[in-house]
Amino acid sequence: MLASLARPALAGARPRQPARRRWHGLAGYLFLLPWLIGFFGLTLGPAVASLILSFTHFDLITDPRWAGLANYRRIAFIDTKFWASLHVTFTYVLLSVPLKLAFALGVAMVLNKGMRGLTVYRAIFYLPSLLGGSVAIAVLWREIFSGSGLLNRLLALVGLHGPSWIADPDTAIYTLVVLGVWQFGSPMIIFLAGLRQIPQDLYEAASLDGASRRRQFFRITLPLLTPIIFFNAIVQVIDAFKAFTPAFIISDGGGGPINATLFYTLYLYQEAFGNFRMGYASALAWILVLIIGTFTAISFLSARYWVHYDE
Amino acid sequence: MTTRRSMLAGLGTAALLGGPARGAFAASTRLRMAWWGGRERADRTNRALEAFTRKHSDIAVAGESMGWSDYWPKLATQVVGRNAPDLIQMDYRYLFEYAVRDTLLPLDKYLSGPLKVGGWDPKFLDVGRTSDGKLYGVNFGANSPALVYSATALKELGLAPPTPDTTWGELAQLGEQVTRKANRTSYYGLCDSGMREPILEIFVRQKGKQLYTPEGKLGFGTDDIREWFALWDEMRKRGACVPADIQALYQNSIESSALSLGKAAMDCPHSNQLIGYQQLNQERLGLTMLPTIDAQAPPGQYLKPSQLLSVYARSRKPEAAVELLNFFVTDPEAGAILSIERGVPIDPAQRAVLKDGQDQKTKDLVEYIDLVAGRVGPLPPPPPKGAGEITLLLRRVNEQIGFGRMAVADGAKQFIAEAEDILSRG
Repeated sequence: MLASLARPALAGARPRQPARRRWHGLAGYLFLLPWLIGFFGLTLGPAVASLILSFTHFDLITDPRWAGLANYRRIAFIDTKFWASLHVTFTYVLLSVPLKLAFALGVAMVLNKGMRGLTVYRAIFYLPSLLGGSVAIAVLWREIFSGSGLLNRLLALVGLHGPSWIADPDTAIYTLVVLGVWQFGSPMIIFLAGLRQIPQDLYEAASLDGASRRRQFFRITLPLLTPIIFFNAIVQVIDAFKAFTPAFIISDGGGGPINATLFYTLYLYQEAFGNFRMGYASALAWILVLIIGTFTAISFLSARYWVHYDE
Repeated sequence: MTTRRSMLAGLGTAALLGGPARGAFAASTRLRMAWWGGRERADRTNRALEAFTRKHSDIAVAGESMGWSDYWPKLATQVVGRNAPDLIQMDYRYLFEYAVRDTLLPLDKYLSGPLKVGGWDPKFLDVGRTSDGKLYGVNFGANSPALVYSATALKELGLAPPTPDTTWGELAQLGEQVTRKANRTSYYGLCDSGMREPILEIFVRQKGKQLYTPEGKLGFGTDDIREWFALWDEMRKRGACVPADIQALYQNSIESSALSLGKAAMDCPHSNQLIGYQQLNQERLGLTMLPTIDAQAPPGQYLKPSQLLSVYARSRKPEAAVELLNFFVTDPEAGAILSIERGVPIDPAQRAVLKDGQDQKTKDLVEYIDLVAGRVGPLPPPPPKGAGEITLLLRRVNEQIGFGRMAVADGAKQFIAEAEDILSRG
């Protein structure tokens, strides 16, 4: 069922509907109306406005002044913080997404063994995904990874002296990667559903032929899961680029220490709501749209080489 | 999506803390008042609002309380939407930006009527006037940075507490002695205030410079900031102040200061925060003025309005709003409720209430402000646009030096270059 989500929709020609049926269509649109109003009024409208604003200087209180390409030029050639924030964000995306997917798949395979109380375990493992983006968890994370935090106390029990993970510019980003990976629940659930769809007789045939567990994993499980992996990867990459709350809470909105947790979205927020440069922040936002769009496009283009659909 | 959800959660908390004052539905006149601050301030302000509505049963006031960093985006958005609160807590930093855009109501015509602040010392009233002489904000409490120290810890270690005549060199020595004599892991004499812009300002003013010129340029040079960074770098190396990885956990809040966390004996916050610090500390705290460069140095500190109260220019009930403003800044009952949480009140009647009935900490603070009043320099011009960003820059460069990523001299050069770039952008 879920695999079909990731599968490109089949564009089939439908017969023309009789006139009577059109009223049903109208009712449908009426039911859609609240969503349509929201989409045009709260999503598309502001998006177009921000595209226009990205070519202006706008401090909220005074009227926008036309700036041409000045904002984009500054971002590309002058703004060192832009590059610093890109570096932080890419580090985060490239580390957290693969780790999270691997972890989610691992847990899903364990849960797929058909153990007792599966629903309970599934709920427990899903819990971090519900809580993970919240302010409370970000605060908790500070307490675990600070110099005298829980982690270092545990390390002290075995005689190790850990650094102040969150306060050290070398390690701060990794605490956020761990926080990201910890929220493996939703890809795990999707993997679990995907694993259930793989026909058991494939494994039976393989073991009759003497294929090892390892070989079964790489030759059966992984190839048949590729549509699910593809779907999860795209969703997670987009999510990771948009990560904001943990860095905002952990660094009190500053992106410190020394810009080590200055996520792109955090920098965008600083420019917009800290320094009231709405035009500049809009330009940053559109560059993020381009980056995410590029990543998604590359994923889709590459999909034909590694994603298997068993049509 | 997560972002939006957490933002909504934040707004929800703010609404809870703010809460409508009693009788919000019965009264004929409804006002809104917004302020930034913590829990303590929200409680006190709401109690004062209740006291006001008891006296004016025809007026109901809804309070909106939020943190500093949420406050300004929200206010700016409300001003754009022509929907700002009637009574606005203002910062000296932003008063003029809002005033010149006609978003604040000139209060001069009320001085003969409901606003009874005409008898105040002009030096405290004039901070709310723009260059054209109009009054746009009323001083909501006098404030100044202070050196807050644990009197208990210093006494136990047999060290004399700092005085207004202490020099920076002597403070460093005192910090080092605390660290040595206390000899506890992760316990130091001082917090690292190299990142604190108000303390840097005191330092440059003692050198006869200023943070910003009236034209909005930097008022000090590379040499000054290099000396500043070197001062704190040396303190870190001598163990006089906390190392960079402890200071990095500071989040611009009383709760996250190394002094509150039991990792340092001294910090340099604003004096009105003394009450908050004391509540989080078992040890008895004292406060004094910041150190000086030498005995002949010009005074670095000044009395600033911790905040001002302004009326929204589009308020539909300006008279009622001014009435409420007057209650906050002159009424003795309000003075007793608000105490010194927003700094020491200017109004003589409110001050008298505080000097009489209140606890020792309040008296300490009123005394401190009196002490500072005798030794202050003039109020500097309001900081230019971009000053807020420069406080973040100061913190970052101080961290880069503290973590050993950058030499002091390079840090000073980078600070000046980036600060000038920020100011040129506006």
